[in-house]
Amino acid sequence: MPPRIVVVGGGAAGIGAAGSARQVDPGARVTVYTEYEDAAYSPCGIPYVHGREIPDFQSLFLQAKEVYQQAGIDIHYETRVTEVDLGRRQVEVEGEGSVPFDCLVVASGFDYADPGVPGADLDGLYYVKNIRRAMEWDRVLDDVRVAVVLDASPLGLEMVTALAHRGIETHLVDSHPWPLAEIADPDIMQPVEESWAELGVKTHFNTRVEALVGDRKVRAVRTSEGELPAGIVVVCTHKQPNTSLARRAGLAIGSTGGIVVDERMATSVAGVYAAGDCVELPHGVTNIPVQGLSGSHAYAQGKVAGANAAGGDRTYRPVYVPWGMVAGRWMIGGASFGETLATALGIPFVMGVAEGISRARYYPGVKKVRVKLLAEPGSLRLIGAQMVGQEGIKERADFLAMAIMTGVTLEDLAWMENVYSPPIGALNEPIAVAAQNGMASVRG
Amino acid sequence: MVTFSQWLRGNSERYLLERAQAEMAKRYLDRPGPPAESGLGPLFWRRVFVPIYRRLPWGLRRGVIQAIPGSHRRHWQTRGPIRRPPVV
Repeated sequence: MPPRIVVVGGGAAGIGAAGSARQVDPGARVTVYTEYEDAAYSPCGIPYVHGREIPDFQSLFLQAKEVYQQAGIDIHYETRVTEVDLGRRQVEVEGEGSVPFDCLVVASGFDYADPGVPGADLDGLYYVKNIRRAMEWDRVLDDVRVAVVLDASPLGLEMVTALAHRGIETHLVDSHPWPLAEIADPDIMQPVEESWAELGVKTHFNTRVEALVGDRKVRAVRTSEGELPAGIVVVCTHKQPNTSLARRAGLAIGSTGGIVVDERMATSVAGVYAAGDCVELPHGVTNIPVQGLSGSHAYAQGKVAGANAAGGDRTYRPVYVPWGMVAGRWMIGGASFGETLATALGIPFVMGVAEGISRARYYPGVKKVRVKLLAEPGSLRLIGAQMVGQEGIKERADFLAMAIMTGVTLEDLAWMENVYSPPIGALNEPIAVAAQNGMASVRG
Repeated sequence: MVTFSQWLRGNSERYLLERAQAEMAKRYLDRPGPPAESGLGPLFWRRVFVPIYRRLPWGLRRGVIQAIPGSHRRHWQTRGPIRRPPVV
């Protein structure tokens, strides 16, 4: 009898799980439930449609709905799973009743944290998530003169840049002293702030939101520094794991609020797997659980969860979190953690910093690249990295995450081989120079 | 419902980061740190928890962090340093 696999959630993790389950066992009966009208599109691309870098929303869809049907994946759209009964091995589905399963994959994603201020129920608050709503909001943006973005989170940075590109007067309000302050270091973010100023963005750091003001529709944001008029408020608060179903079902939840899983993405209950923004995973350097990573993490975890649900045996690894994004006119990125988080946790480190260039110094289009490396004192094993530049940041972030995972030291990096070709790489690789500087600082 | 471990992590992370951000903002940007919230709770975390945490040796801090339940306590395959050529 082929296994009946139920997947809750149609995002990257859910679709990854469904596809992978069918690959491992082509006879598996895979049903995906999503509360949205669509599955398998790239929500990460939404800010770039708003910013007009991408011409339309259609290009964000990965596959037509028929493709999944043909692949034997039965997706139930706009269908909510209301309960999971682990004793009876069944889910309760709105409009369908009880649906039995042999294995379950929970890929219920995230919700934005409530702004936690009066007025959070007003119209005119845009939570960037669902592509259909994004299409509606995109039309609204045509008539918006002033926008306020709440929180300089990764999405907040993308939306600020997108709205500024669109010619909308954009204000960014954040309670921290610099943007992305929970992830990135201030010296990495300083060029971004400067480029936002050039784009006309008005930033309000160290500023708390006190209320969203309006009758039915928001018309202003009251902050600790005064009131800002707002035609629209884009809420980019922290992504919290959506675990209400998992909690009610009795799955173990960790200190991040995410579902506890092991390397097979198996939860605390046999036959139940979880993946994506609703789970927590150990960080490869600190072994501290982390949650709310990228779409590529979610998809890869989904594939592991789905394969195992179908009888396979795949494992996922602790995460070293390569990250990167465009903000203003700059690319920022890194791997593992930076100086701010290491300082907060009290992790001992030595540091090497360098300002390098992305191409040969004489080649047109050469850009500055700032690289900052953190290493464990004594062994000098790399433990973290952050960068800002205008090209080549993503590739360096991926490389550095792998370098951290494999135990590469500052000494290894200081004398690393590197590509030298005037249009794509300088004689001195900025990573190598940062490592040399780090070693010099250790030697005093 | 927030469990004890979520409450502990949420608060400790928040106030440890707040202190680190204040130091980094001063060092790199010559800006003040995040505005302090009033009340007994924030006062405890800021004036008692953070200074005590910072005085503990890293090994002890790490031990306490690892003792908190979560995914890191379950089985995970890790990869150690690769230190030999692949073909020998």
